[in-house]
Amino acid sequence: MKPQLTLQTPLELPPEEISKYLKQLWISENEYNFGANTFSLIVWQPAWLEQSLVKNELINGPITGTLSPEIIETAKKLILENRLPLSSSLYSNELIDLLNKNNQDCDAEDLRGQFFESSISTLNPRRLITLAPTNDKGTKLKTFVSAYCPLSDYSKNQPICGDLVVIRGKSELIAEKGPEIIENLSINDLPTWLWWNSSLDDSPNVFDNFSRNGRRLIIDTANGNEERCINVLRKIINSKKAVNDLNWIRLKSWRESLAMIFDPPKKREILNHISEVDVDIEGEHIIQALFLIAWISDKLNWQITYATKKSDFIEIEFSRENGEKVITNINSIPLGNPSIYPGQVIGLRLISKVSDDPKRNTCIILGAESAECMRLEAGGMADMQLIEAVVPNHYFSSDSDVSKLLASSRGNTSPLFENTINISSEIFDAIYG
Amino acid sequence: MQPSLSNPLRIGLRQERVIPPQCLIIFGASGDLTHRKLIPALFDLYLQRRLPSEFAIVGCARRPWSDNEFKEKISSKLFEKISDNKDEWRIFSNYLFYQPVDLQNLEQVKDLASRLSQIDKKQATHGNKTFYLSVSPNFYAGGCKALKESGLIEDPKKSRIVIEKPFGRDYSSARRLNKIVQSCADESQIFRIDHYLGKETVQNILVLRFANTIFEPIWNRNYISNIQITSSETVGVEDRAGYYESSGALRDMLQNHLTQMLAVTAMEPPGKFDPEAIRNEKAKVLQASKLANEIKPWECCVRGQYGKGGNISSPLNGYREEKGVNPNSTTETYIAAKVFIDNWRWQGVPFYLRTGKRLPKRLGEIVLTFKDVPVHLFESTIIDPSPNQLILRIQPNEGATFKFEVKSPGSGMRSRPVQMDFSYDESFGEPSDEGYVRLLADSMLGDPTLFTRSDEVEAAWKLYTPLIELMENSPWKLPTHKYESKTWGPPEADQLLAKDNIFWRRP
Repeated sequence: MKPQLTLQTPLELPPEEISKYLKQLWISENEYNFGANTFSLIVWQPAWLEQSLVKNELINGPITGTLSPEIIETAKKLILENRLPLSSSLYSNELIDLLNKNNQDCDAEDLRGQFFESSISTLNPRRLITLAPTNDKGTKLKTFVSAYCPLSDYSKNQPICGDLVVIRGKSELIAEKGPEIIENLSINDLPTWLWWNSSLDDSPNVFDNFSRNGRRLIIDTANGNEERCINVLRKIINSKKAVNDLNWIRLKSWRESLAMIFDPPKKREILNHISEVDVDIEGEHIIQALFLIAWISDKLNWQITYATKKSDFIEIEFSRENGEKVITNINSIPLGNPSIYPGQVIGLRLISKVSDDPKRNTCIILGAESAECMRLEAGGMADMQLIEAVVPNHYFSSDSDVSKLLASSRGNTSPLFENTINISSEIFDAIYG
Repeated sequence: MQPSLSNPLRIGLRQERVIPPQCLIIFGASGDLTHRKLIPALFDLYLQRRLPSEFAIVGCARRPWSDNEFKEKISSKLFEKISDNKDEWRIFSNYLFYQPVDLQNLEQVKDLASRLSQIDKKQATHGNKTFYLSVSPNFYAGGCKALKESGLIEDPKKSRIVIEKPFGRDYSSARRLNKIVQSCADESQIFRIDHYLGKETVQNILVLRFANTIFEPIWNRNYISNIQITSSETVGVEDRAGYYESSGALRDMLQNHLTQMLAVTAMEPPGKFDPEAIRNEKAKVLQASKLANEIKPWECCVRGQYGKGGNISSPLNGYREEKGVNPNSTTETYIAAKVFIDNWRWQGVPFYLRTGKRLPKRLGEIVLTFKDVPVHLFESTIIDPSPNQLILRIQPNEGATFKFEVKSPGSGMRSRPVQMDFSYDESFGEPSDEGYVRLLADSMLGDPTLFTRSDEVEAAWKLYTPLIELMENSPWKLPTHKYESKTWGPPEADQLLAKDNIFWRRP
């Protein structure tokens, strides 16, 4: 479990009194301590799965908003036992609907907003606002407030403190009253991030309401309908908002591993003769595969000419600057195991062809494990000059990825990702017209 | 199709740390270092898009220049670098400002403070300031005091001071200077620069040692017979005679650059990659270092001075004939020393350090020579089997080479040495940044990992105290031997190792 940030139980206050209370709190605390001069972080933290599992007594409370190993195991078991599609995500509506159907209505303490990974809290967010929608029958919107002072191992100075606010209630109520509460809590001059810690299919109205202002967005396009994901990205880019996508961040080791192969200058010529690209993904969610293909095509100046969805794969054709064709395929590989992050890349194969003699051609294979490398070697690939590497899909928690983002992001969309989004949208349109 | 100049898949992939809004104030802005190293490094950072848009560089010196004059002076000196990036330079030069300041004149420093607050507002630099003292070491103490008195370094989170080498002239002056500087600013604000630590290859020593399992188990007295650290220059004193006459190779190179390489090579693994953890280990190993013979330091050190050289068509002056050099100067342009480290890891392993001017090659390298095998089973194609060597090349042709024995082809069972090579150029194909690029960025980011802490500087001076005292009190015991320009130093330096039946590696 993530460490608890506040030592005291947050105080319940009416929403209209929070802002005044916090001002008072900082003034009385210490005349030199105005709180961290960092950023505010708003987290949409529905934890629908955790709430439903607790209500059905499948796990014990309290509800903390942490995707614990226990929750993951229980959810995977449910998917298998109830014969839901194996590719179902842990965030899938089918799973939540299934749980809600048999709702036992067991109660548990709700501590969302009080637990954060230390990697986030040691960045000293000035204000942490957790939006905690609930599937309780009660309709009242509740707000809680507390101060926190994370202690660093190194800081010799007094701790830098921040405060946290939890807004709990039905989604509709949060959507209706939340924006005004947050507006009153905004701190001028400090950047504000909105982390949508849920599927993009979840509460689109709330998402629109909260992402409307000039906040920097953190989303995860591994979860949500693919069209919805692409449209959200497209909309954000068109409106010039800053966006960071954890699905793109998880692709980092693939980008790095592929680039690493071509660092030695003598290998770079291979890039000029790539004729085939295969991307294997876990399940059927194609967004991450699109990102990878879009990034490669952007860097190598390929132009999309054609794309189509076939029975068990997607084919995309590009033309290189010299007019030669490059065929890329996205292949769904069923792994028989429900995924936290659907559609993660598990294999990449590039074939660079300079001759009809296979020995003069090169095949580059990156696989999430050696078995995947061996699979991609099939079909005569081993006759070529082979460059292989294993890129293990060791995922960090979302909190950990978010903390890295908060620590390093310049507050704009990375140009690399922006280009990738534009090309991915283009490919998506070409596939689904 | 032409092969790409750079790896297209690498573009935009490197996630560099973000430098916060910043005002960099360079004292000594009319000097050589500013236009030769600092501004080019800052321009490189700009070209790499690593500078924030809220940024300012304020040049300070005694000359009564205006902002525009400063810009013109700098751009005329950087003509070549700018000519390929004219548009970028035009934008970059908007960051440049100038304020005439004499660091000894408190009123002028106070005037600077009010100019800085105007620039802070104009450039939105959020009050973050980095002061770079690129001035004569005589002004370090006074400069820090003036900055303190004018309130410019009041906020330890928003202000820093970068101090160039040499930090002191000996142990006691370094201690005095540390006390003064620390009375003006918190240690966390003080960044003592040693540009060797900014070199990619020096940092790579840490990665090589602590990111691999194969090196660390043999990185000790059980396997290593000796370590040689060399930094050689082909150039003479050039136009630095004024400074060099009072410094010499010991103060200019040995006490700082070579000793830092020694520290990075010999330190224990830190518990974590954290500035203080790393600097603790460096300080500890320097505190455990001592000259091989502290009672008779002349037995473990050789000084040299370059004499004439070259040939009839291009003769080279000896040091004493150089412009600005005392014709009877005894300043050393070459120094070699033998050092031991009194700890469990290195007990009894000699570290040989040498540096000099007008040597045959420009070179920086660390050579770890491993112990001989206990029994020679195989005859060698040369006289004796060579011991294994790991050569870490700091410059040029940055990389590493490992020398080991293999079977010589043929029907016999004779061994011969071969080498395995890693070259930055061949592996990465892109030049690494100048040390100053990395260090300037780190100082503005407030990351002190690659800067020397007060205890490290003091330990490094203490190590050479017997030599310095000898040179000052009984210089005849440590004479400067002549060596011909473009040779590998005086023959006495070879004798220093020959006594241990070892030879300098001829690179």
